[in-house]
Formats: sequence, C-alpha cells, structure tokens
Amino acid sequence: MKKVLRFIGVFLFVVPLLYISVKAYGGDNQSPPTITKQEEIKISPELHKKFPMKSMHAKLSLSCVFCHEGQGNNPEEWEYVEEDACLSCHKTKKYLAERLAFMDTLKANPHNSIHDGTNLSCDECHNEHKPSINMCSECHQKEIKENIWMRKVP
Amino acid sequence: MADITRRSFVKMGAVGAGMIALGSTAANAAVSEKGVKYDGEYDVIIIGSGYAALSAGITAAEKGNKVLMVEKMGRIGGNSVINGGLLAVVNSPKQKSEGVNDSAERYIADSMKAGKSINHIENLQVIAERGNDALKLVQKCGAKFYDKLSHLGGHSVPRTYLSANGSGSGIVLPMISYFKKLPNGTIKNKTKFDEFVTDDSGRVVGVSVREKYKFDKKAKDDHRENTGGKRKYYKAKKGVILASGGFCRDTFFRKIQDPRISDSIDSTNQPGATAEVMMQAFKAGAVPVHIGRIQFGPWACPDEKGFGAASNFNINATFRYGISVDPKTNKRYMNELADRLTRATAMFKVIGDEKNFPINICDQGAVDKIIPEIAEKSLKAGVVKKFDTIDALAAEYKLDAAALKKEIAAYNGYVKAGKDPEQGKPVDKTEGVQIVKAPFYATRGVPKLHHTMGGIKINTKAQVISSETELPIPGLYAAGEITGGTHGASRLGSCSIPDCLVFGMVAGENI
Repeated sequence: MKKVLRFIGVFLFVVPLLYISVKAYGGDNQSPPTITKQEEIKISPELHKKFPMKSMHAKLSLSCVFCHEGQGNNPEEWEYVEEDACLSCHKTKKYLAERLAFMDTLKANPHNSIHDGTNLSCDECHNEHKPSINMCSECHQKEIKENIWMRKVP
Repeated sequence: MADITRRSFVKMGAVGAGMIALGSTAANAAVSEKGVKYDGEYDVIIIGSGYAALSAGITAAEKGNKVLMVEKMGRIGGNSVINGGLLAVVNSPKQKSEGVNDSAERYIADSMKAGKSINHIENLQVIAERGNDALKLVQKCGAKFYDKLSHLGGHSVPRTYLSANGSGSGIVLPMISYFKKLPNGTIKNKTKFDEFVTDDSGRVVGVSVREKYKFDKKAKDDHRENTGGKRKYYKAKKGVILASGGFCRDTFFRKIQDPRISDSIDSTNQPGATAEVMMQAFKAGAVPVHIGRIQFGPWACPDEKGFGAASNFNINATFRYGISVDPKTNKRYMNELADRLTRATAMFKVIGDEKNFPINICDQGAVDKIIPEIAEKSLKAGVVKKFDTIDALAAEYKLDAAALKKEIAAYNGYVKAGKDPEQGKPVDKTEGVQIVKAPFYATRGVPKLHHTMGGIKINTKAQVISSETELPIPGLYAAGEITGGTHGASRLGSCSIPDCLVFGMVAGENI
C-alpha cells in the first residue's frame, strides 16, 4: 500500500510538472526534462499484448516499472521480479497467511501450508503475465479439482 | 494418471545396474579454476536443500564454516517437504520406552532382505549407529514426533518415528529456520548448479551456478532446455556436498535405465527430481552404483496425481491393519507388509494390461489407530471411500460380496491365530485389528515411481569415490538419494530420511 501511495504521490507531482515542461518546451516531439521512468521507456503494443497485466493490477493503473523497477530502459531485457516487488504492496507473507486463514481447511492454507509454511515464493503459483497455476495440485489434484481447499488462483 | 498398463512389471524383476561408462578425469570435466573470477567465497557449498543438504549445512556451519546452500527450484526442501515424514531409528529412546528390542544387526538384516543382499553394508552400519545423533540434530532444530512408533512393512520391529504433522515438513521446516538463523548459513533458491570448478590437481574447489533460474515445469526436460539465469562462480574452500536427491522425474534418464518406465508413469516426486547433478558427479569420475534400480511406492492411488491423500492412508491403515484384494479373484495376492519391491511387483501383476487396480480395504478399528486427519483428508478428496457394509463396498468396486466376505473372514482368522499361512503377513504385529467394525474403508491402489535406489558411490565418510583412482575425489562429498548402493535393490519405508540425515551430518563433520 505504501508503494501505491508513493506512486500516487509521484503521479500527482510529476503530471503537473510534465504539463509545465511540455508547455515550456513547446513541442510535442521534444523530450521534457523531468519525466517518470515509465514515459522514458517505450512499451510497444506487441509487448503489452505479449505481457498482459492481471485485471486487478490493471484496474489500479499500475505501470510496468511499478514492478520492473530498476531493470533498465529496455523492456526486452527485463527479468522476472523478486517477491519483494509483490510484497511492497502485499505486505508480508505472514500477513497474507493470516488474512487468508479462512482458506485453512485441513491445514491447507496455501500461504502457510503444512509443507512449506510461509517459505514459498509468490511465483510458485501466481503469475502476472500468464495464467497462474496451483502448485498444490501437483500432488493434491483431487482436493483442488473438487474445490475442497481453494478456488482458482488469482 | 499413471500408465501402468505395461506388459510385465513382473519381468522387470532385477533390472541390471545401469553402469555408465564415463571415464573422464575430474580436471577434464569441469571448469578450470584458472581464469575463473569468483562472485563469492564460502568454505562449503551444498547442492540441494532437503534433509541431506540441511543436515550437512547445519553440521558444517556449526563447526564454524561459512556455508552456501543452492537450490534450483523456487521451493526450498524438494521432496523432503512433501514426503510422509517417517524416520527409522535403531535403538531409539522411543523403542526403549515401548520395550522394543532392536539392534544394528537386525536393522541391517531387514534392509538386506529388502535390498536383495546387494546393499553396501558399511553404509547401513553408519546409519544404524548414527541414527540417534541425527534424531538429536533434528530435535534440536525443533522437529516434533508423534508419540507412538510406527511399524512399517519389511521392518521386523517397530522403529519408525512419524513427524508430528504427518509430513516431512515437520522435520525440514524447523531445519530450514534453524539454518537460516545461523550467521554463517545462506540459502539461495532459484539457483541452479551447472558444473564444478576444479584446480590443477583435479580437486573440486568451487561451483558454476545460474542465479535467478526459473525452473520450467512445462518443459519436457528443463535442465536440457532451460538456458535462463545469470552465471555466477562461487568458491568452496573446503569442498562441495552433493545433496540434490534422486531422478524419478527425469523421464529421459529413467527410461534409459529401464525402458519399461514410460514417460506417462506417475511419480510421488517433485518436478525438479532430475539427474543432472549426478551427471556432473559422473563426469568428475564418481562411481555409478545400481542406477537402474528404481523403486515404486506400492501405496499410491490411481485416482489422483503424485503421493496425494490416499498414500498415507494405505501406509498407515489399509496395508497395516487391512488387506489388498485382486478385484478379479476377490482374494488377497500379497503380504501387505512386504518390502516395496515385492509389493509393487505383486500389484503390477494384478493390474496387468487392463488397469485391474487392487482394492485396499480396512475397517473403523484400523482408522481408530491412525491420525484422524489422514482419514479425513483422503475421504474428502474422494480417493478413499467409506461404506456401512461390506456389501456396499463390494458393489462400489464390482467385487463379489460373498467371496470378499469369505476372504475377510479368512484374514480375520489369521489375525486371531497370529499367523498368516497364505501370504505371510506378520499379523502377530498388527495389534489384533480385524476387519469387523463398520464403517469400512476402501481405495484403489497403484505403485508410483518413488525413489531411485542407485546413484554415486560414497564411503562411510560421505566422500565420493572415483572410478578411476578408487579413492575419494578431493573436495567432493555426497549424501541422500543422489548416492546409491546403501539400500541395495529396494529400500524399506522410513529408511531414506535417516540415510539423508545421517550422511548429511557425516559429510558436514568430515568436510
């Protein structure tokens, strides 16, 4: 949440500044001096299509660099993000486990499971640019398929 | 689902050891230290993050070594966090309190019987002698165990500790936390070991790895196809310990060893259980042992993937306190507590080409003896079913009720008499539980790929032995499922965890 606030803050600050800069420089083709990183980086429609954002993240109007922070200016070279990026909004794994404790039927809370506790990386199940998977179903296919434990992974 | 309609698992019997002729010297097969710019320096580097790795890591770190553990998967702990958490300890405190008379000789005799006498006895001896030390190590980390000892198939006496949460994670998670808290212990997950770095003498002095490695579960052969990750070199001043597990999920390699294991055959293992680390050890000259001996777990269920929910139910309830019947004959066809190889062979014979899966049956008396969650979970998953009468059970699985009742009555008679003349099940050790008390429980059974018996040869100090010199390869140690020979042709249940823990500890002590 902190990061969202920071983001909104930056947005509120940068947009008027941008406006002023563009005005001052007077041209559409000229780069303004102050700009957020996102605007510097060209994301082609093809790339946007290839790496679609999850609807809940899109709703928040998150930019690409919101997660791919500090990964350079060439999106082609960006890498998968570490879980710190996820946790900058989603707080801690312990917090998630507690908040989602209602899923804990038969010790099956995926965020604090009997097998892994809170050790799992988010991307064991959650993907941003492709469908998420349920890692538990590698062994617990039946429990997952019949929705005994949990529903579709967001 | 498992493709077990293979013509004849029976014929499989003893699969010849898959000796691989890889005669290269250590120096030829690895990255030479000359010209390597290290990204970090450690005393000890461990490949893997399961029982063996953690036991080695904790032991080595507590001796003052700076230890790095690398795990290629995102998940830490590999198969060790998803197994049944069964740990056989010889002459344990629980055996003393339960009045069980055990000995190293007894344990070795049981293991040799299951292992068809090709076991490397000197390593079994180490496991028997050091089991209590391994138990102390995991208890120090915070592992808790179920009050009562379990008596598993093929063991002549009860000697098995069961993790208090019914999973290996009950042992491994406390070990991970313990290791992470040590100031000189580091775990890097998503870090794939590729090659050894060796010095001029051929000594293993470091590793080449790829960090930010993302294992591709959809790839047919991740380690042959995946070029991702960032190259790093780490120095291992005292040496490298291989603890990366077995290769049940390496479809290419397992089929080479045994052409009857088709790609679609299911396994209880995690997807990262592949052979590439062992290959590097072979390249460095390690002796291959019993590579073609690949073990099936006889207690799995064809109605779910992997170990699932039914396996624990069969291990703890149906096989111990109940029976397994051939749906065609309505008769028992094996000693339900025989070793895994014997049981898997008997089951595949029943299953044949027509997926004639055996039906494993027990009663409420059996379920009363086990951890309630095990039954609850498998019932909810629908892989174990509950019936008020034997007639209803027979109807569900298309058995002949009268014939089944007759078979159950015969079995109950054997339990009462304390002797099973038909199949030789040790019914004198099943606490008198007969199949009499409703409701009755049943599940379909199938063996699944579970453990690769073979691997690289280590001596009693966990040093990897070279084919070329017949001596330890300097700087190279190994422990756990990547090693072979110890358990021979087939291991007994609950004997892998003590192997991993003991030899991990031994490697950590000796490095």
